[in-house]
Amino acid sequence: MLAMRISALLAVLNREMKIRATNLTFIFWDVAYPLAYLMVFGVAMEKAMGFTVPGVDVDYNAFFLAGVLGMASFAIASNTAWSFFMDRDNGIFYEMLTYPMSRGEYLFGKVLFNIVVALVQALITVVLAGLLLGIPLTLSRIPLLFAAVSLGTAGWFFFYAIFALKMRRNDAFNTVTSIFYFVFLFASSMFYPLDPLPPLFRIFGYANPITWHVDVLRYATIGLGDPGTILLESCAFIAFGLVAFRVAIHALRNQE
Amino acid sequence: MRRASGGVRHTSRLSNAPRTPHVAAVPRESTLAFSGFTSLIRLTMSAAIEVHELVKTFKRRAQPEVRAVDGLSFEVQRGAIFGLLGPNGAGKTTTIRILTTLAQPTSGRASIMGHDVARHPLEVRKRIGVVIQESAAELFLSVRDNLLTFARFYGVSGPAARQRAEGIMEEFGLAPEASRKAQDLSGGFRRRVQVAKMFMVDTPVMFLDEFSTGMDPILKRAVMERLRQEARKGRTIVLTTQIISEAEELCDEILIVNAGKQIARGDLNALKLLSAGVYELSLTFDKLPAGIEAELAARHPIRLHISGNTVEVALKEEEENVLRLVHELGQRGHVLRVEVSGASLEDIFVELTQRARGGSAE
Repeated sequence: MLAMRISALLAVLNREMKIRATNLTFIFWDVAYPLAYLMVFGVAMEKAMGFTVPGVDVDYNAFFLAGVLGMASFAIASNTAWSFFMDRDNGIFYEMLTYPMSRGEYLFGKVLFNIVVALVQALITVVLAGLLLGIPLTLSRIPLLFAAVSLGTAGWFFFYAIFALKMRRNDAFNTVTSIFYFVFLFASSMFYPLDPLPPLFRIFGYANPITWHVDVLRYATIGLGDPGTILLESCAFIAFGLVAFRVAIHALRNQE
Repeated sequence: MRRASGGVRHTSRLSNAPRTPHVAAVPRESTLAFSGFTSLIRLTMSAAIEVHELVKTFKRRAQPEVRAVDGLSFEVQRGAIFGLLGPNGAGKTTTIRILTTLAQPTSGRASIMGHDVARHPLEVRKRIGVVIQESAAELFLSVRDNLLTFARFYGVSGPAARQRAEGIMEEFGLAPEASRKAQDLSGGFRRRVQVAKMFMVDTPVMFLDEFSTGMDPILKRAVMERLRQEARKGRTIVLTTQIISEAEELCDEILIVNAGKQIARGDLNALKLLSAGVYELSLTFDKLPAGIEAELAARHPIRLHISGNTVEVALKEEEENVLRLVHELGQRGHVLRVEVSGASLEDIFVELTQRARGGSAE
C-alpha cells in the first residue's frame, strides 16, 4: 500500500516536472526570482531609504530575506493552483481524476515538485544573499528553513487549491489571488515589523498565516524572534495547512 | 454493405463471431424467464460491472431537480463489449462518470470488478482506463511523453513502457509525430493520443466515451479491431457513442437509455425482437414521383429521408404491407434500384426512444 502511494506521488511529480521542464525560462525564473526581488527591492529600499529595521536592529536586506522566501512560496503555490485551470482547459483534469491515485495523493504529488523548486530556490537565495549582501545566516537552522519552506509552499498551495477547484473561471481566480496578494502580503510581517503599526493593522497582521510563515523563516535565516512565539506560529501554520488540505480534498472530491 | 439490392433480407451483425459466451440478453424484465436461475448465478459471478438501482440527481438553484440517472440496473460480463446508447442528455455520460469515480451516486450502488465505486474509489481506479468525452491530452508534452506519463500512473515505466509506446505509436499512426507536442497536433491526432494511451496499460475494464470523435474512418476501423482483440483477451469495454453503427458492429450487449432510464437492453438480435416488424426501404427513381413525400409521411414512418431521386424510409408494418408498398411505389415511376432490409440498430434506437418519450415504453 505504501509502495502504491509513493509510486502515485512520484507519477504526479514526474508529470509536473516534465511539464515544467518544457520551458527552461520558467525554471530559471522560478529559481532566480526571490534573489532578484531581494537584490532589487531589498537593496533599493535599504540604500535609498537608508534605514535599519526599527526595534530589531538588523539591516533591511537581512530582515527582508525571509520576506522574499515567504513571497516565493506564496507565488509558487498560487501558480501551481492556477495549473488546475490549465488542466481543465486541456481536458486532462477529469481524466487524471480517474487515474489510480487518491485525491490526497494527487494534491500532494502536485505540490511535491514545487516544494523541490522552492527548496532549490531558497538554498540559492540564502547562499547568494550571504555572499553578495553579507547577510549573517544561522547555519544550524538550515533544516528548519527547509522545513518552513516545504510546509509553507504546501500549505499555501492547499489554500489556493480550494479556490481553484471551486471556481470555474480563471479570471475570477486571478481576481481572488490579486486580493490575496494585497491582503496577505501587505498586512503581514513580510515587508516590515508589525509592532510599530496601528493596533487594528497589528491585530490583523498577527492573525495572518503569512506572518506565521515569514516569522518562522526569519527565525530560521537570521535567528530573529522568540523561540516560544515561533513554536506557536509554526503550530498555527501547520494547523492552517492541514485544514486547507482537508477542504481542498473535499473540493476535489466534489468535481462533478 | 448491410443492404442487398432487390429483396427482403434480415440484417445481421457485421462483427466477428461472438467473442464471449453470452447469456441471451433481453430486456431486463425478461432476464429470469429467458436465462433461468443458473445463468443468473453465472452472470453475477462473472460480472465485471454491476449496477443496481443507480440514481443521480442534480439540484440547480431555482430550478427543479434533474434526475440524470433514474434507477439504472445492469451487469457487464468480463470480456464483453458493452454499448451505452441514448439521445443527448439521456444520462450516458453521467452513468460513466459514476462508474469511473468522477461523480457520486445519489442512491443505488455500482461496482467494478467487485469494488464499490463510492466506497472504494481507489480500488476501482486501479482497474479502469478511461477515455473521457472531451479531448484530453498533456498539451505541453510530446506524444511519446503523453503515453509514458500516463503509463507511469499505472506502474508501467522504464524500457518496457518505452518499447510498448513505440509499438502503439506505430499502430496508431503517431510514430512520425512522436516528438511533437500535443498542442501542435490537430484535434483528431490528439484524440488518437488519448485513445492510444488506453493500450499502454492492462486495466481489466476500459471506458470509452465517444471514443471515435474526430477519428478518420480508417483509424476508427483499426481501433475497433483492436478493441475486439482486447475483449478477446478478457478486457471489459464499455463505450458510449452517438454513432449507432459503431455499437452495432462492436457491442456484445447494448443498453439503450433515455431520460436516465433503461428502455431496452440485450444483444443486437434481442433488441431487434423488440422492434419486430420494422423495415427499411430504399428506392431510387429515375425521376422522383410528385407527392411521394407526403404520401409516405402519411404512413407515420420511423424515419423518412429523401435525397435527390432516392427515398429512404423506415416503417413499422406487416411484411406483406411492406411488399405491397414496394409494389405500389414501383407503379409510380421507373425504379432504378430497390433495397429492403430489416430494422437497423438506428431504427430500433429511434423507435424505442420515441416510444419512451410518448410514455408507452416497455
